[in-house]
Amino acid sequence: MGESATADALLSTRGESRALEAFVVAAAFERGGRFCAFALGDGTLSIVEPAAKSEWRSVAVHEGAVLALVPDVTPGAFLSGGDDGAFRRTTAGGAAADIARFGARWVEHAASYAGAKDTGLSAVSVSRNVHLFDAAGARLKTFEHKSTVSGIAFDAKGKRIAASHYNGVSLWFVAAKDASPRELEWKGSHIAVAVHPDGDAVVTAMQENALHGWRLSDGQHMRMSGYPAKAESLSFSRRGKWLASSGADAIILWPFFGGGPMGKAPLELAGGDGVLCTRVACHPTHDAVAGGFADGLVVLADIDSGRVLPVAAPGRGTVSALVWNADGTRLAFGTESGFAAIVDFAKK
Amino acid sequence: MMAEPAAPGSASAPGSLPVPVTVLTGYLGAGKTTLLNRILTERHGRRYAVVINEFGELGVDNDLVVESDEEVFEMNNGCICCTVRGDLIRIVGGLMKRRDKFDGIIIETTGLANPAPVAQTFFVDEGVRQKTRLDAIVTVVDAKHLPGRLEDSHEAADQIAFADVIVLNKTDLVSAEELEAVEERIRGINRFARIHRTERAALPITDVLDQSAFDLDRVLAEVPDFLTEDAHEHNDDVTSVSFELEKPIDPERFNAWISVLLAEKGQDLLRTKGILSHAGEDRRFAFQAVHMIADGGFIGPWREGEPRTSRLVFIGRNLNRPQLRRGFESCQAG
Repeated sequence: MGESATADALLSTRGESRALEAFVVAAAFERGGRFCAFALGDGTLSIVEPAAKSEWRSVAVHEGAVLALVPDVTPGAFLSGGDDGAFRRTTAGGAAADIARFGARWVEHAASYAGAKDTGLSAVSVSRNVHLFDAAGARLKTFEHKSTVSGIAFDAKGKRIAASHYNGVSLWFVAAKDASPRELEWKGSHIAVAVHPDGDAVVTAMQENALHGWRLSDGQHMRMSGYPAKAESLSFSRRGKWLASSGADAIILWPFFGGGPMGKAPLELAGGDGVLCTRVACHPTHDAVAGGFADGLVVLADIDSGRVLPVAAPGRGTVSALVWNADGTRLAFGTESGFAAIVDFAKK
Repeated sequence: MMAEPAAPGSASAPGSLPVPVTVLTGYLGAGKTTLLNRILTERHGRRYAVVINEFGELGVDNDLVVESDEEVFEMNNGCICCTVRGDLIRIVGGLMKRRDKFDGIIIETTGLANPAPVAQTFFVDEGVRQKTRLDAIVTVVDAKHLPGRLEDSHEAADQIAFADVIVLNKTDLVSAEELEAVEERIRGINRFARIHRTERAALPITDVLDQSAFDLDRVLAEVPDFLTEDAHEHNDDVTSVSFELEKPIDPERFNAWISVLLAEKGQDLLRTKGILSHAGEDRRFAFQAVHMIADGGFIGPWREGEPRTSRLVFIGRNLNRPQLRRGFESCQAG
């Protein structure tokens, strides 16, 4: 009891939470930084303005489950994909509208990039295709792949988009007239993708409980193995010094400095109790990482010191969503059993 | 680098039972879609999520129909015949986000599909393993055209070999003699599946769903005429053989033998199932494998007075009966 009470101290003193009673698929803060949305397995978004202690507004957006949620390119709205084949935009006020419909196919992954005025981009993956949209939601182009796309990510400048699939990653220049991708090949099923903040490395999670990486400047392969489970959640630290991942009973951090992770052991934080880490999210302005675990535990770990701060105690379901707002003052998380919370880390 | 994985099931919420999954195979035109339509329209109070390859054929409006491309992926685990259905791993993960909306999953495969990757997905992928249980592989065959199919493809025999339940359909299109002959042919390939004769795929859905055929404690629950000699040799390349041993098994010897056997002959061994009596153990040990991928564990105790015979069944190609028998016999304790 005592330990549990301590572990929950941050949540109880600086957090607000709800039992939403549906699988929390993802969470996102819109680019204005005011509103947070939780995407749920029942097709709704639950939208809240934490600073205003607002009500949690439930908006029916998809007919099936929401499968992907990201901030819209412009402030004040969210983009979501669902198993109803819809790609939709929902304002913080709760007005939802179609951007595109893809029939019976699932809209499984979404990504967005906020550029300078009106130059932002969004993208969704549907089956083997990645569809690219401009800031206004007009479809720009479609990138085709040989197998189903399992993850998409823009690079930090919004110039390229990486799509993972069977046997590797396709890296597309979004502005290229004649689209042909750079193919990063590695045999096997790749199930998630992340792009290094400096744009020189692409990393995937693989079906075989390992990560695979490519250094783009020289094509060097990087293989990071030893995970007991799939490492589906990937997050680079703010300047790309570390790559955090789930898939073990600790937050796993691979060094991406001093020559890269090859031949090195990863840092393991917040481990030791045999519970699988299921979500990671690096802090946007400090070398710190948040981790969510299969038993519901959420922690914040300082990477340099290894100090671990409990955020929420175990017991509310497997953590399935974990995200920071842009300035790193709020952490949102949700669980498979429908618990959702936002914790305030701002100096008081 | 790291510690042991979290215990299976530790990630799922208490009380959330694994979802039963039925795999429906069979050639185009055998009656697979007719059977699926029956399952979905009959008033049984159950809701099914259905994974299909093409819309259009399905005459039922079901809001949980998922269209999918069969994507067979090789695993990089050093096991040459280990393939999985990548699309199913994704779809099962997606469906689990609305777990409360259905009671079971039905996966329809394309007519020419090899059932092994589907079955292996449920053994190999930890996420799928935790959240679902493979209930049964149901194969629909056309009584009139099956002999022709068996002549011109491997897949027809594979689908029968993998089946736990065979719906022998279109019996009205053949004579009584032809029907006997085709059933004999099926038995030659797989003596251990339950066969239901149907017209227009009409049968109680309880004959098809909730079979628990892959549960270890049901692995050999209904083996017919086990003691009889195997059916006479066919020219069909897929056959089934079974063995019994009265003396208890030495588990270490069995593991050593079966792991080498599966590694060397796993491509030919489509399904292997067994109930073993370990020396000095009051519980039965159940074993099953799909190609090289094996699963085993203790199930309930031997019943009072029940003969503790170890039984092993192989369904596959190029089965060397004397060699398999000698190998199994070498596993006896003492």
